[in-house]
Amino acid sequence: MIRIQSLSLPNLVGLLLAALLALGLIRWFGNQTLKADQHAAQVRRAVISAQALAEGVEGLLDQDQGEHLADWITPWLQKPELEQVRILRLSGAQLLYDNRETASLPRRLNKDEKDFFDQANRLKSARQSNIDEGLKRKDEIEISVLPHQLQVCAPLVREDKVVGCVWARLNTVPANPWLSTLQVVFYALVAALLFGLLHGLLGQPKSAGKAWKPFGLASALLLVLVGVFVVLNQAALNSQRQKASDSVHQTYQSEYDQFVQGVAQLGLALDPPAENRWDVDSVLRPIGTLDAQGHLVSPELSSGLSFRNLVLCFVAGWLILIFVGLGYAQRLVRTLRENREAYLFVSPAILAMLVLVFFPFLFGVLLSFTDSTIYNTDKAPSEIWIGLQNFKEILFDFDIMTRTSDGMVINFDNFYWTLGVTIAWTVINVFFGVTTGLILALILNTKNFAFKRIYRVFLILPWAIPNYITALIWKGMFHRQFGVINQVIQMFGGEPVAWFDGVFSSFMTGVMTNSWLSFPFMMVMCLGGLQAISSDMYEAARLDGASRWQQFRFITLPSLKIVLIPAIIISVVWTFNMFNIIFLVSAGEPGGATEILITKAYRIAFEQYRYGYAAAYSMVIFFILLVYGYFQVKVSKATEAHV
Amino acid sequence: MNWTRLSLFFCLVGSLFAQDKLVVWHAYRGAERIAFEKLVDQYNQTQPAITVSTLAVPYDALADKITAAVPRGKGPDVFIFAQDRLGGWVESGQTVEPLDFFLEDETRESFLPVTLQAMTYKDSVYGLPFNYKMIVMIYNKKLIQKPPTTSTELVTVAQQLTKPDAGQFGLAYSFNDFFYHAALMNAFGGGVFSQSKPSLNSKPNIEALNYLMKWFRQDKILPEDPSVALITSLFNEGKAAMVFSGPWFLGEIESGIDYGLAPLPYIEEAKSPMKPWVTVEGMFITAPSKHKEEAYAFIQYATSKTGAGLMAREAFQLPANAAIYQEKDIAENPTLSVFRKQLDASVAMPNLAEMTMMWSPATTAMNTLCRGTDTPQEAMDAAQAKLVEAIGKLRKAQ
Repeated sequence: MIRIQSLSLPNLVGLLLAALLALGLIRWFGNQTLKADQHAAQVRRAVISAQALAEGVEGLLDQDQGEHLADWITPWLQKPELEQVRILRLSGAQLLYDNRETASLPRRLNKDEKDFFDQANRLKSARQSNIDEGLKRKDEIEISVLPHQLQVCAPLVREDKVVGCVWARLNTVPANPWLSTLQVVFYALVAALLFGLLHGLLGQPKSAGKAWKPFGLASALLLVLVGVFVVLNQAALNSQRQKASDSVHQTYQSEYDQFVQGVAQLGLALDPPAENRWDVDSVLRPIGTLDAQGHLVSPELSSGLSFRNLVLCFVAGWLILIFVGLGYAQRLVRTLRENREAYLFVSPAILAMLVLVFFPFLFGVLLSFTDSTIYNTDKAPSEIWIGLQNFKEILFDFDIMTRTSDGMVINFDNFYWTLGVTIAWTVINVFFGVTTGLILALILNTKNFAFKRIYRVFLILPWAIPNYITALIWKGMFHRQFGVINQVIQMFGGEPVAWFDGVFSSFMTGVMTNSWLSFPFMMVMCLGGLQAISSDMYEAARLDGASRWQQFRFITLPSLKIVLIPAIIISVVWTFNMFNIIFLVSAGEPGGATEILITKAYRIAFEQYRYGYAAAYSMVIFFILLVYGYFQVKVSKATEAHV
Repeated sequence: MNWTRLSLFFCLVGSLFAQDKLVVWHAYRGAERIAFEKLVDQYNQTQPAITVSTLAVPYDALADKITAAVPRGKGPDVFIFAQDRLGGWVESGQTVEPLDFFLEDETRESFLPVTLQAMTYKDSVYGLPFNYKMIVMIYNKKLIQKPPTTSTELVTVAQQLTKPDAGQFGLAYSFNDFFYHAALMNAFGGGVFSQSKPSLNSKPNIEALNYLMKWFRQDKILPEDPSVALITSLFNEGKAAMVFSGPWFLGEIESGIDYGLAPLPYIEEAKSPMKPWVTVEGMFITAPSKHKEEAYAFIQYATSKTGAGLMAREAFQLPANAAIYQEKDIAENPTLSVFRKQLDASVAMPNLAEMTMMWSPATTAMNTLCRGTDTPQEAMDAAQAKLVEAIGKLRKAQ
């Protein structure tokens, strides 16, 4: 156990570490938001410049005044941040303008400029896609970030079609960090010092009841420290961010003035835009805080350090404090040291598990909180984070039945329908598997049964054949016109059954196939169990006058329990996730009605390409099995105790 | 940011092991593989700049391997695949390289137009067409002397040869499989997408289904539940006079059956011939490849008259290169010439990413329809609703 007297030193160390972590995290979050703001402002300024240029170029090209391109662009180049400007016309891959090129323009692009051409082409198809789909889904302006530079590619549009692009490279000013690491260390040291002082004043704890005192003190100090730190530094953060957003509308205004001036100088018949078309997002929608002349019309959005992040930082620090301050750290180090060899031996296994099991699993967990689809696999999880949305969509969708003119219609896509089917599927299959297996085992266990070995081999065969082959054979047997089963029905004068047309009959095709596959396992388990039952018990029972049923009920079944329960537990998990049979035999027909959860998850991921949603679906399956597993452990413990 | 850094790292690791050679992934086996390797050998001898090497990947693994490996810079420089996955690869990015920049007008014109269209996604060409496949009419010469060319002839001939009690049918094809049904659908001017919006329940589609139901229910020339295995066995037992199927079916025909090929018939009610969906195998250059120009030179060679001609002669592929059909031995080949003729009445199967979402609702619709529980309009309305919903969940505005 933790020794009470030595708690003040661990608490001091814990507080120091906790303060470093919490403040470090706050500083990181703060810098992150600041960086994001500064970056966003820089991107907006670059977009404004590129769009202003493109607006002029479009006008010039429309009026067939291509020769004025250079005159138009030159004044813009005086801006120190604008480093290179290129203009491309897609038809014929013509480079119309490049401020670095001395050779005669226009010319066809060189082979090593293919990327530029592809970029313009991408803008073209993005715009077309967005129009066709009626959605703003793809970027209509491309921004790439380089170290200290930004590249913007803005489309040149004529009659709603992209005919070329304006490409600009701009220098960016490195972002100002908010706080230095030194400040964090300074605050942490102050906290540690305070702890020492206050602790000395309050005195050593004298009884076990007051063991929490140093820890409580450290926790309180941590909380105060976080509060003070944030309050003192929030203002600095805000002013930095304000500066960033101010720069945007300054840029807009200067671009606007430049535009008007340029038009006057060249004597062009061009009007400055009547609405804001320059300060836009990546799908060319106005951001909406500036008007056509660049005046601020609504305040810039500013969120600052979110309260949630602050709580997160504090909790992270506090966990460290608990870990170190309450002595858990010491204990961990001690066990690691004492059982050094043991940890060494299991480390390869741990490593393999990390790579092969935990990483994919955690990746799945991560994916389930995102809106990952085929369209955004290149984005980082934080960009497509949607929290619990997927789970909400799965679990809170109760649209199982809808009333239509034809009566009630079941929505087979609903999670609860599929869950119900899966549970029914599992229960019925396990029931049939166990019953058939048990009956066959009892028959095979008969003494002096002729050809017992041969039968045993035959009965194990379904298990030995790969299950997808069996599944495909059964699917063929259920064929409406030519399947064996319908042929037999017809032989006896019955009507052929369209197996995959009805929900129930389609469900039963799967059940039959799976029962066929699962009874050998149960049979083998039961046989093993039966052979372990001592014949003395039966003899004694017979002497007492027990009937055959009584022998079965009170000797055979209880003795089999020890093998049957684990076997059932395992086969429940297997059946619950029995992908092959459903996928290959009924394929969910009709209309996805007989789909089970795992096949549904597959369809969501690989037919609908909704990876995030499918991951959430899998997580739900995992949790169902986890709950089941929990009860299973309890039940098996109970049987162990019984035996 | 970290993700790009990570992938950059993988690229760097990959480049350490990369040599100056062009790697091609394909899924060919048997005669096709031998012919393709011969083609590559020939190319390696014609130019010293780069060595092309091939890697055969099992067909069912190839697409997934490409999806997983290529965007991380671990894939080949060139791969061969059909157009059905193209849209998905373009949408997920970093997989296939657009070729418009390389593509000269004479190269563009050297291909049969439908095949190049299959390689085009949203106005950009992403691959050079290599060969194509589609369904035609395959008939049993013992039962049919002159293949029908119009729908009236087809129904008359088929009705004469249909004896349901003996399990014999005039015509057998997987009409409940939407891929096969597309031939009728396209004849009526229908389609599954129009300008990348789903159009499953459009008027021509309904007309095509009504027409199919006439064959199935009134004329009774088609078997129920026509699975591929069933059609193969019917044809091999001489119990199906005509089959609509593709080159893949020819290998299944038993040697005793004397068969002939003919283009699909003209549908009088639609005033158009049946137009099957064409799947086109193309050669694609991967986006992370470091030898794009060399790769382009190679795929240009492979899809040229020399390359594709070799594949046609030695592996019986149907070349997408137009000029090959001028050559005498190809022009006179009875199989190749029928497919070539059929290509003029055909439609490239859409290569949109959303196509995979279409199959499941369309199959359900075809099943409810053939079962008779729904009318064509009801079945297709339901399928359309499902498809619109699935796509709506996937496509999201920014």
